[in-house]
Amino acid sequence: MKGQALRGYLFISPWLVGFALFVAVPFIASIYLSFTQYDIISPPVWVGAVNYKRLFSEDPLFWKSLAVTIKYALIAVPLGTVVGVVIALLLNLEIRGIRFYRTAFYLPSIVPTVATCAIFSWMLNPQIGLMNGLLRVAGIEGPAWLSREPWAFYSLILMSLWSVGGSMIIYLAGLKNIPISLYEAAIVDGANAWHRTVHITLPMLTPVIFFNLVMGTINAFQYFAQAYIMTQGGPEDSTTFYALYLFQRAWRYLDMGYASAMAWILFLIIMFITMLLFKTHKKWVHYDS
Amino acid sequence: MTAERTRHFHTAGWIFSAAILIAFLLGVFFKNPARRKYPEREPVVFWHMWSGVWKTIVEDICVSFNESQNQYEVLPLSVPGDVADSKFLLSVAGGAPPDCMVQWNQIVPQFAHNKVIAPLDPVMSPEDYIYFKETTFPVAQKIATVNGRPYCMPLALDIRACYFRLDHLHEVGLLPPGAPKRITDKEEFEEIAALLPDNLEELAEWGNRLHVFDNKGRIARLGFLPEWLRMFAPAFGGGFYDWEAEKLTLNTPENRRALRFIADETTKLGFDNVVRFKSSLTGKHGADWPFALGKRSITIDGQWRVQQLKQLAPDIAYTTAPLPPPKKGGKKNAGWVHGNFMIIPTGAKNPQGAWEFIKFWIGQDDPERAARFYTRAGWLPPRPQIANTECFREYVKENPQFQTFIDLLDSPNIEPTPPVTFQLLLYDLIKRADESATRGTLTPKQALDNLEEQINDEIARKEGAPHEK
Repeated sequence: MKGQALRGYLFISPWLVGFALFVAVPFIASIYLSFTQYDIISPPVWVGAVNYKRLFSEDPLFWKSLAVTIKYALIAVPLGTVVGVVIALLLNLEIRGIRFYRTAFYLPSIVPTVATCAIFSWMLNPQIGLMNGLLRVAGIEGPAWLSREPWAFYSLILMSLWSVGGSMIIYLAGLKNIPISLYEAAIVDGANAWHRTVHITLPMLTPVIFFNLVMGTINAFQYFAQAYIMTQGGPEDSTTFYALYLFQRAWRYLDMGYASAMAWILFLIIMFITMLLFKTHKKWVHYDS
Repeated sequence: MTAERTRHFHTAGWIFSAAILIAFLLGVFFKNPARRKYPEREPVVFWHMWSGVWKTIVEDICVSFNESQNQYEVLPLSVPGDVADSKFLLSVAGGAPPDCMVQWNQIVPQFAHNKVIAPLDPVMSPEDYIYFKETTFPVAQKIATVNGRPYCMPLALDIRACYFRLDHLHEVGLLPPGAPKRITDKEEFEEIAALLPDNLEELAEWGNRLHVFDNKGRIARLGFLPEWLRMFAPAFGGGFYDWEAEKLTLNTPENRRALRFIADETTKLGFDNVVRFKSSLTGKHGADWPFALGKRSITIDGQWRVQQLKQLAPDIAYTTAPLPPPKKGGKKNAGWVHGNFMIIPTGAKNPQGAWEFIKFWIGQDDPERAARFYTRAGWLPPRPQIANTECFREYVKENPQFQTFIDLLDSPNIEPTPPVTFQLLLYDLIKRADESATRGTLTPKQALDNLEEQINDEIARKEGAPHEK
């Protein structure tokens, strides 16, 4: 048994070494760095809690970026959940060509982010974009989506739905796991489709919803690439997400200590929200079949 | 575990180990996949951010340098512009930086302050240093110098001026019918120059006459629109730095006037309308430059467009002129200047080789050779020795529009970004103030008040933190 365990560790040793070097060490080092002034070239200089003090009391952009990120999480995560569940329910129907539809809805989620951003930049172009073209047909002059407040922010929310296929496929797997006997019993009891959805499907799907909710919230707080590529935080910082501001502080202004402090605050926020979700999950997540 | 499974397990283990061993050996034997033409020479690793036709020219300079001597071999590498800074910083932090790199971002004072880049005077001979001080245009020296020492070597300056579409000007009657339809020589260039607006207000009025709107009121062609506070502040007699007192001058009456002018002109067209128009333009870096496409009649842009127009759109009739000052209280031949400059990172393995390459590039020993490359790329030389070569004079004769930029080179009114250690932050915040005023979110005064407050906070923070001084 001991030899087997050793062999097991040996097999996973490339990952273990990678994790230790590229995750664990930087993770622990960043705690120390958050209390220093560090520009990645010169040795870090200990400054105590100065970075944290600056963040909380002297940096309005820190609060703004936090507010933008929380607002995004509050809107995009529930919206993505609802849309993901609804699409999964529709794709769970046994209709002709359903495999094609499942593939078609899943496909956007594996399109590289940069390609997605390029497509949306064109779609949301106010003059020659598809979105305003369609609105013009309906007699509406659409806004300058990515260049005006608050539209730039909502454009990114809209764009987040594009990759809902990733969570949709997990919901679909969850739907397939619901025992058919429950539906048969409900039909015998006279439950209609709506009742079956509300009283069987959704409760039985809550473990998957919970998983996607936790992952979606964590991802929302780390939202970066789309804002970096499409808006660069503009217009007027309305899409300066927390991770984007952290990146700017670290790599644009070489303020690594400050950025480390920001990273730790972000870590604590994500931990707190995840814990909160785990605390509440017993009340609404059903594991028993 | 059954005997058969153990056997399979062992076989898999052997295959895995053999694969690792083969990969390792391949790595050992093919450790340098890039073939070097002169493996016996000292390598000089050189990074740059150019692509397309410029990359070819830069690589030709490297080839030319490699052929010119037998001690060094320059190995060029084009790094994508948007990740170049972080890649460069990581290479310095990781102890494997290039020997030199061409930059055009606002990084010199900050990188110098953080010791990311090394001063150049240790690798310069006394003659080199004298050559730099005596022959480089003052504005290029301003860009290069931090705390009295050169931290980069300007290779080319980027100066902006006004580009005018002559066909558009004729179309709306802004030029007399007898005026040249296109510029073919110096005389025609000067004849047209005498007819162009000599103040900003008149230029804006020309712009108004050149705008074209579609039947829904949307901009189809933009006549002229003032943009960039950093460009217009010097023209209004302002700017962001007092070079004698070495102090920032952000919230001055001149800067406020400049920002007011920009904001007012944008308001006349409607910010939303301008945003829609600009976003409809498909590109701005090549043949699809809006000016070349006829989407803009008068625009402000850099000298490299002269060469681009010659190569990509030779039929376009245009001229160039310096940004005129306002009627009252302005300065002639003013604007914002930046450039391409070579830096040598801290920890470079071959700084001396890098310096020899820099000297070759700027033509210290042979300006005529340098001029051949500069004219191919449409670069503006940082020293008159190149501008005065036969090759360059011939180039300007063929492209009289380039003369505007040559004339601006020694103007005392063109301003680079102030050389403060938080230059990038300052640059971003100036752009932010510009954006807020142009959008109408803040008045010009409020925007500059904000800017000043933010920068004062940054200065106070630095003064209160001894480790940051």
